[in-house]
Amino acid sequence: MYYAVSIAILVTMGLALVRAILGPSVYDRVLAANVFGTKTVLLLSVIAFLYGRPDFLDLALTYALINFVGVLAVLEFFQSRSRADAQTGGDQ
Amino acid sequence: MIVVVFGVFLLTILVVTAVAIVRTENLFVAVMLMSIFSLLMAANFFILDAADVALTEAAIGAGITTVIFLGALALTARREEAVSSGRMVPLAVVTVLAMVMIWATFDKPRLGDPDAPVHQHVAPWYLEKTPELIGIPNVVTAVLGTFRGYDTLGEVFVVFAACIGVLFVLSAGGLRDRSKEADAESIGLKHHLIPKVVGRLLVPFIVLFGLYVQFHGEYGPGGGFQAGAIIATGIILYALLEGETNALRALPRRVLLGMVVGGALLYTLVGVAGMLLGGNFLDYSVLASDPVVGQQVGIILIEAGVGITVCGSLLSIFHAFAAREAS
Repeated sequence: MYYAVSIAILVTMGLALVRAILGPSVYDRVLAANVFGTKTVLLLSVIAFLYGRPDFLDLALTYALINFVGVLAVLEFFQSRSRADAQTGGDQ
Repeated sequence: MIVVVFGVFLLTILVVTAVAIVRTENLFVAVMLMSIFSLLMAANFFILDAADVALTEAAIGAGITTVIFLGALALTARREEAVSSGRMVPLAVVTVLAMVMIWATFDKPRLGDPDAPVHQHVAPWYLEKTPELIGIPNVVTAVLGTFRGYDTLGEVFVVFAACIGVLFVLSAGGLRDRSKEADAESIGLKHHLIPKVVGRLLVPFIVLFGLYVQFHGEYGPGGGFQAGAIIATGIILYALLEGETNALRALPRRVLLGMVVGGALLYTLVGVAGMLLGGNFLDYSVLASDPVVGQQVGIILIEAGVGITVCGSLLSIFHAFAAREAS
């Protein structure tokens, strides 16, 4: 049971990686990185139960909390960059 | 057995990601792929049962590194400059070195081999004596905190020195004129309702979780390094939501530098206190009347020192990037 779930998650991780590498747009990449983070959280949780050490769920929790910050940083980055482009006339 | 298959699969896509990072010229794509690389690395550590290392990678690699990379990216160009000539010599050097390293792995003991030299040296002694001498379940924390206390002290001073170095480089000229642009540049994500509401809900939980990791390090995976990074992530989230100026108002730069210095000093003072009480430097058993309790008190104090230094360093570096003028 756990094996089937982990294999499914690994396949999804592979697909997300393909999207992150191929792109083509920036948003595909952001989404792929985000999906990859979510899949890592799931994989860690499943493997924690597979090893019979549910206390390792702490790690999955850390990822879940921290992934969000990364995505917000990306948003902030694009917001400030588009503002900078508007000021300089987007000549970069 | 199937776990080995997982490991091989994850390592394969790790290599694919690494090659993609090298090949891409768009720096933003490289940053996104770096965050994927870090997640894969942590999953690998986790499969190898190294929960403490995986937690460090999670806290630093996936969260803070991405934020700091984006901060650096805001100051530089969008694309890597194309390098057209002189690639053959580096390629040849790398190929030869890689062959040598692969050849060296043939002498390596099998993964998880109990007869490997590393498991025959001091590791059995640590495993056997930790419950008796230190009385805590997480042997990693015992090794880091007391058996190898000197090494950890060295690491804290490395973090301290690295932070000073980064601040020194970043503060060399080109500081943004705060009075003029303070309103325009650092509004953060204030005007976006959903991130703001969700983010505000998350900040206290991230900081609380960081404190849990800090003080639960003796019993589960965690400790000062991880906790410092998680708490710093929480405060960076606040800075992203409310604007960097507001975050600096809550935790001024002077306080952050005080944390960087104070944490390292706290660690050293615990060591000196051991000397004054008649033991050796960093010998915690003299800190309380019962040696085992003394060890635990010592570990909690030095872990706090580590956490304070790491948290202060990461936040100082984050603010230093934000304070630079884009060139």
